[in-house]
Amino acid sequence: MTNNRRTFVVVHPLDDVVEAKVDVEALGPMPLTPSVKFSLLVLRGYLIIMGLLVLYHVLDLSGLFTHMR
Amino acid sequence: MTQRIETLTTPTAGRVVRSKWARRWLTFLMVLGPGLIVMVADNDAGAVSTYTQAGATYGVKLLWLLIFLLPVTYFVQEMVARLGIATGQGHAAMIYKRFGKWWGAFSLFDLELLNFLTMVTEFAAINLAASMLGISPYLAVPLTAVGLIVMVATASYRRWERVSIILCVLDLAWLAYALFLGPSVSTVARACVLPGMPPHGITSDYIFLVIAIVGTTIAPWQLFFQQSCIADKRLRFSDLKWERIDTFIGACIVILMAACMMLVGDAARRYGLQHAGFTYTDPAQMARFLGQAFGPLVRNGVLLLMINAAVLGTTTISLSSAWAYGEVKGWPSSLDMKVNDAPGFYAVYALGVLLAAGLVLIPGAPLQLIILGVQVLAGIMLPSAIIFLQLLLNDKELLGAQFVNKPWNNVVNWIIIGVLFALSLVLAAQVVAPNIFPKG
Repeated sequence: MTNNRRTFVVVHPLDDVVEAKVDVEALGPMPLTPSVKFSLLVLRGYLIIMGLLVLYHVLDLSGLFTHMR
Repeated sequence: MTQRIETLTTPTAGRVVRSKWARRWLTFLMVLGPGLIVMVADNDAGAVSTYTQAGATYGVKLLWLLIFLLPVTYFVQEMVARLGIATGQGHAAMIYKRFGKWWGAFSLFDLELLNFLTMVTEFAAINLAASMLGISPYLAVPLTAVGLIVMVATASYRRWERVSIILCVLDLAWLAYALFLGPSVSTVARACVLPGMPPHGITSDYIFLVIAIVGTTIAPWQLFFQQSCIADKRLRFSDLKWERIDTFIGACIVILMAACMMLVGDAARRYGLQHAGFTYTDPAQMARFLGQAFGPLVRNGVLLLMINAAVLGTTTISLSSAWAYGEVKGWPSSLDMKVNDAPGFYAVYALGVLLAAGLVLIPGAPLQLIILGVQVLAGIMLPSAIIFLQLLLNDKELLGAQFVNKPWNNVVNWIIIGVLFALSLVLAAQVVAPNIFPKG
């Protein structure tokens, strides 16, 4: 966008000059601070529990536990 | 095309306006798109089913939940918008690059699988609605699939965006049906602010519907879609304020239309109570029932709105898959590229659409199992996707002081994460102990 005295030019993002953004490749992986480590650990625990529950539900639906009871 | 983008040093086109007001308005219109589309597309076929079922079962008693979900959905997507504008890259690429291959592969696999299964449910809705409109599904489903592929294959982001916005505008017709069929404004206003108890108390069905509404309003694909869409549209740092407004307008529309769907479901419930028995099974059956009471305009309109929701849902979900896969693989992935320049990107999009459409046409396909799979996978994926979003939005190295979360953003987001985890655990508890809540 440029101000040319009394007129303004509005440019669509796709027609505009490409902005330089942060170079993510140069940054590499995120530093594993204690809070990041803790969050990822909680996430792993949650995924394991949910995975086991899904497995249990599938086995239950297949009638395995009814057979054992 | 990639070459052209990289070497662009001066704007290639622009519109001259004479006032600051016109400049602001035109800039907003040029930015408008990603936020509106991601939000309205969230009211896909599955959402139509969930919201109309909520209305048909509990009347207006769950409207308060939607009011609560308005800020939640806006806060989540605003963070995505900030991340997209700051990095110029998609969400999948960001997880891969910042959390490593394992988490990147996990997120991508989960997203692709969930998206595919969701697309199957979209085509199942098209199948159902077309059948009820008297159109053969063997004609309607393949034609829709071809149309969806043509919609992106014209190699123009702007064209795809305009078509999608038209579909978003068509979605507003729910408002007309809600005004025509719904209860009085005072009843609706009261239900929006006062949570109502269901007639049989809190039952497992009620809990399940609350979880389904939350899961429908904030879906994992939305995070991936909006960030990639912003990256593809190449939104600039200065566009953030307009993108926030775009997202907020989208959030208001998605919640308003969700409420309208509930009111349409409620109309079927009320008419059923007065004149004939009505038990909700799906939105198409509800449309037929409403048609008996209010005429073919209501029946056909609701069926067409179902198809519209499914079409908009499919194009956005399939695009989120294609963008995510392309970003991770390092393929050129842009709607502004010709098919020959981005073959992998278009192939993933087309393959997802064609396979989902094909699966629906197989007689005896396990659609109920697929719907269950969508719910389970969405439940597993949403909290993990939000955790990654929260960590990325606190990454000062990546975002700098301008875009990183403020303390109040973190407080709001951790509350949202806590609620989502709690709902997931309630869902899990119901799986292990189905009698934990009384049956409704």
